[in-house]
Amino acid sequence: MHFWEGIRLSLQQIWAQKLKSFFSLLGIIIGITFLIAVITMVEGMDRYVKEDFAGSLFGVNTFTVIRRQQVTTGRTDEAERRRQRRNRELRMHDVEVVLEAAAGARNIAYSASSGGEVRYGQNSRRNIRIIGGSADYEAVQGWKVETGRGLTAIDDKQALQVAVIGSVIAERLFPTTSPLDKRIRANGYRFRVVGVLETQGGFTGNIRDASILIPFSSFQRTVAERRQEVDQIQVKVNEAEEMAPLMVSVEGALRRDRRLRPGEPNDFHLQTSNDLLSAWETINKILLIALPALVGISLVVGGIVIMNIMLLSVSDRTREIGLRKSLGAKRKDILFQFLTEASTLSIVGAILGIGAGFGLAKLVELFSPLPASLSVGAILSAVVLGLGVGIASGFYPAYRASKLDPIEALRSE
Amino acid sequence: MNADSPTDAIIVTHNLTKDYVMGAETVHALAGVDVEIKRNEYVAIMGPSGSGKSTFMNMIGCLDSPSGGEYVLNGQPVQDLDDDELARIRNREIGFVFQTFNLLPRATALHNVELPLIYAGVSSKERHRKAAEALGIVQLGDRMDHKPNELSGGQRQRVAIARALVNDPSILLADEPTGNLDSNTSDEIMEVFENLHKQGQTIIMVTHEFDIAAHAQRIITLVDGKVSSHDAEIPHHILVPASRTVEATTPAVPLDPTISSPILPGEAV
Repeated sequence: MHFWEGIRLSLQQIWAQKLKSFFSLLGIIIGITFLIAVITMVEGMDRYVKEDFAGSLFGVNTFTVIRRQQVTTGRTDEAERRRQRRNRELRMHDVEVVLEAAAGARNIAYSASSGGEVRYGQNSRRNIRIIGGSADYEAVQGWKVETGRGLTAIDDKQALQVAVIGSVIAERLFPTTSPLDKRIRANGYRFRVVGVLETQGGFTGNIRDASILIPFSSFQRTVAERRQEVDQIQVKVNEAEEMAPLMVSVEGALRRDRRLRPGEPNDFHLQTSNDLLSAWETINKILLIALPALVGISLVVGGIVIMNIMLLSVSDRTREIGLRKSLGAKRKDILFQFLTEASTLSIVGAILGIGAGFGLAKLVELFSPLPASLSVGAILSAVVLGLGVGIASGFYPAYRASKLDPIEALRSE
Repeated sequence: MNADSPTDAIIVTHNLTKDYVMGAETVHALAGVDVEIKRNEYVAIMGPSGSGKSTFMNMIGCLDSPSGGEYVLNGQPVQDLDDDELARIRNREIGFVFQTFNLLPRATALHNVELPLIYAGVSSKERHRKAAEALGIVQLGDRMDHKPNELSGGQRQRVAIARALVNDPSILLADEPTGNLDSNTSDEIMEVFENLHKQGQTIIMVTHEFDIAAHAQRIITLVDGKVSSHDAEIPHHILVPASRTVEATTPAVPLDPTISSPILPGEAV
């Protein structure tokens, strides 16, 4: 019952000496602030990578056939990289193999791209992406057209020189007029604008918003300068469970087509967003292990300060301890009282730290695409840490208080 | 309870000793004390400083364990109990009243009185009821929510008495209860004690002032760690010039209670 009384008394004491309490709790506050800020940001990053970044780079429920692996996890194996460099480039023939093997897929798209610049009259923009995509490219990527129309199978079949442009490019080239039906020049080749893509914004949006999409066949004839290579073949399925069997089927078809012997490694690569996600998981794990270790140091400092405060409090209140003992407080009552005080103190610090840490993460959110995600787990671990620091640093002072001789204690000034 | 024991004694000590080792020397603070105090007695313990009366009071109050001898409190031998058992005895059997009141400064009168009940494990509702009742006994029912610094010295000591009474202890143990109070307030506190005694409370009071001790039924005088007298007769070596008659005629002069010699008007500070 005197548990609540203990908490109430310690809160009273904290409030009575606000400034002193703040400084004595500074260590804990800073420690928990960074703990929460770090966890919040890493978790935000995690959510961002999983929900936004990976999806927008590779598409949801999508796997991609490419010449060699782009994202690697852990230590890069130099021999493996050298081997992959000898992989055969993808051609239209491979596209046909994949089309046949993945007949049940929702969409299949193939594309190639190149850097470049785009121009309309006096306006131009450099460092853009020119993507030659098959008819289903927009669907696989999940791109939507804001005005005008998207690319069609006819555009590709007839190799029409039409383009759908990203919103950043539309703004740059056509600040005052509508871009539709205007003829622009991409790397010197003329294209008629038939549509403008929806703005994606954010970190990955920089890529899409500064791209122009043209039919794959037109791309090969113009920008690619008759180079026959297909950069990637993307297969999108309706349900995640359909991915694995289709990947097996595509892999088998390509291996047969390329006459690879059993045991021989693939001379192509099948990539899913899992590649990126597992790379991220590795980074994530390192962050979540290394950063709290740093946080731990400041919590230890915070704990030492609290121990000092409690030792001071015990010697200040020796007489009170003597009185409580004379009124019937047992050793464990006194021990418990001071442990409660130390824990209350450090939990107040932890709560302030949670607030400050979340504030810090919100600030980061304001200036970056990373969402701040405060999880129950983070709050819980902060409170548990606060409690742990309180009990650990309060134990010795509390033990000393409990061992005081009531007669001596009552006599003290 | 031991109310029907033949002697009806609430405190019996037999050959109680306490030695302190100071370097090579051993000091016999108590050198074999035999005392018997009956239920509902009002006893004063006197003695010059160094006579062992503080040590004896600590023994009686179960704050300290004797080096030898026996101490039976309310029928229970307590000389061999451990710390936690002594704490329990202090909580249930003894009500302390200190010279310096020893109230928690940040807590209200009511909360101060509740303290012993907290350690007795009494529920909060019952604690409030009992504490309010105890404050009623010392006529502070209207000051329950006041903090010690909002109370006069006499009121503070009355809060302390209420705190001592709240657990219905076997004995009320007062250590110089008027030592920090002026003479008028001292009289007020002595009146409280007398009323409690009339209602059946056993009271043991340590004091070095004879006029305070004179309120008791019996005076036990300790000298050099031994009982030198058991009755109200004033032993000559602690007899001090009586000052009450002087005070009675000059009530306006505040009296320093620690000085027993007469203070002449004009000399007082």
